[in-house]
Amino acid sequence: MVSRHHPPMHAWTAGLLFLLVLLRPAYGEEGAAKESPPKASMVEVPAGTHRPLFVPPGETNSVQVPVFRLDRHPVTNGDYLEFVSQNPKWRRSQVKRIFADENYLRHWAGDLEPGEAAMSNQPVTWVSWFAAKAYAQWQGKRLPTVTEWEYAATHGFSTLDGSKDPEFQAAIRRWYSTPSPTSLPLVAQGRANILGIHDFHGLVWEWTADFNSSLVTGDARGNSGIERQLFCGAGSAGNRNPSDYPAFLRYGFRSSLKASYCIHNLGFRCAADL
Amino acid sequence: MKAILTASLCLCLCLAFAGCRTRPVAASPPCCRELKAGQSYTDSSLYQLDSLWSSDAGKQISLRVLRGRPQVVAMFFTRCEYACPLIVNDLKKIEAALPEKVRQQTDFLLVSFDSTNDHAEALRAYRLRQKLPMQRWTLVSGKADDVRELAALLGVNYRLDARGQFAHSNLITLLNVEGEITAQQQGLNQSPEEMARKIVLLAGQR
Repeated sequence: MVSRHHPPMHAWTAGLLFLLVLLRPAYGEEGAAKESPPKASMVEVPAGTHRPLFVPPGETNSVQVPVFRLDRHPVTNGDYLEFVSQNPKWRRSQVKRIFADENYLRHWAGDLEPGEAAMSNQPVTWVSWFAAKAYAQWQGKRLPTVTEWEYAATHGFSTLDGSKDPEFQAAIRRWYSTPSPTSLPLVAQGRANILGIHDFHGLVWEWTADFNSSLVTGDARGNSGIERQLFCGAGSAGNRNPSDYPAFLRYGFRSSLKASYCIHNLGFRCAADL
Repeated sequence: MKAILTASLCLCLCLAFAGCRTRPVAASPPCCRELKAGQSYTDSSLYQLDSLWSSDAGKQISLRVLRGRPQVVAMFFTRCEYACPLIVNDLKKIEAALPEKVRQQTDFLLVSFDSTNDHAEALRAYRLRQKLPMQRWTLVSGKADDVRELAALLGVNYRLDARGQFAHSNLITLLNVEGEITAQQQGLNQSPEEMARKIVLLAGQR
């Protein structure tokens, strides 16, 4: 029997993770619970230019994002129940530890019973990156890349560029500064963005395909660069927009994750090529 | 003396290019071991992965063929200008620090980040350039998704930068015979002693 070995996390990472786990972004306008879970339809996200929060030295500060499709809202407990029903190896009692830590689906009552703590149209959480990826594959989809997710999330309520939408900006600030409710809200209750996509901000954090790409320079130095680049005093000089605090938080959160982690406010949604 | 050197160099080259010949399983290099059917793997074993990888011997292999011997694993890419030669050097230092008997029972695995360029020929050329013995060293590349997944399991972060170089964390991982992560060493230019000691410990447990 071999104990699971993790390289030691930096103190700030542990602290940040703790902080973020406590500080789940709150949600927008809460609606009444709907009778049946909404169908996870997809929305086309038009091609465009994305300016990443962080630009490594020597790189252009914008990337072209080709058109893709994205789920209208995060995957729900109801959706996930269907997945584990059809894929026994992803049931809580069956899952291999290497693919999901001991917190996997811990809020469910049983293997095939989400129970009262996991209503069918609440976003599924306590799922690992491997589980999210397997779900997406089962649907014939994939996870969105960091770039795709961040780009789609910049769309405002009434403008393509959310930074020019004061209402959207105000909502984001409100979401990220309000403490978490004890129970997760339902999906697709908050106001949709101009593309018709819900819950980018303020419901749950979300897995991305390449969450483990968040480093700036791993070359010739002992540790990956993003911690220093993003969290040391001088590091934020490289940021496009230091005031985009939510994006900053998301980057920090991603870089503190390991693929087997299951966390109470971390869910996912799927993407697909056109 | 010179003749002996030349001869041995030729032999090395011939062996490298000969790739895999049919030999008794026990003595065949990692690239060419036969996989026994119907094996089960522990919950923490990396060998649960179904992905197939291209080895420099030009074969598609499952990592499962590596089961049964400790593996010292690192990720790299052949066009790397910075860290990768240093990582490979760190692996060689670990190899050199092992007692002869343990060294004969230990494998080294290099997995490429670069799914586009690191085909079998590129890996073969790298093996020659770095003088990595066939008997112990396995070099593989794979599909981008499979590379991302293995990196996630090992805890390696990486991204392709604008110059076509991969920025990546430098991490050396020790897998036991079952393919479970038993130790990791972060950073470059580390002393090999600690890792060598852990490999000797593993060898003692077998």
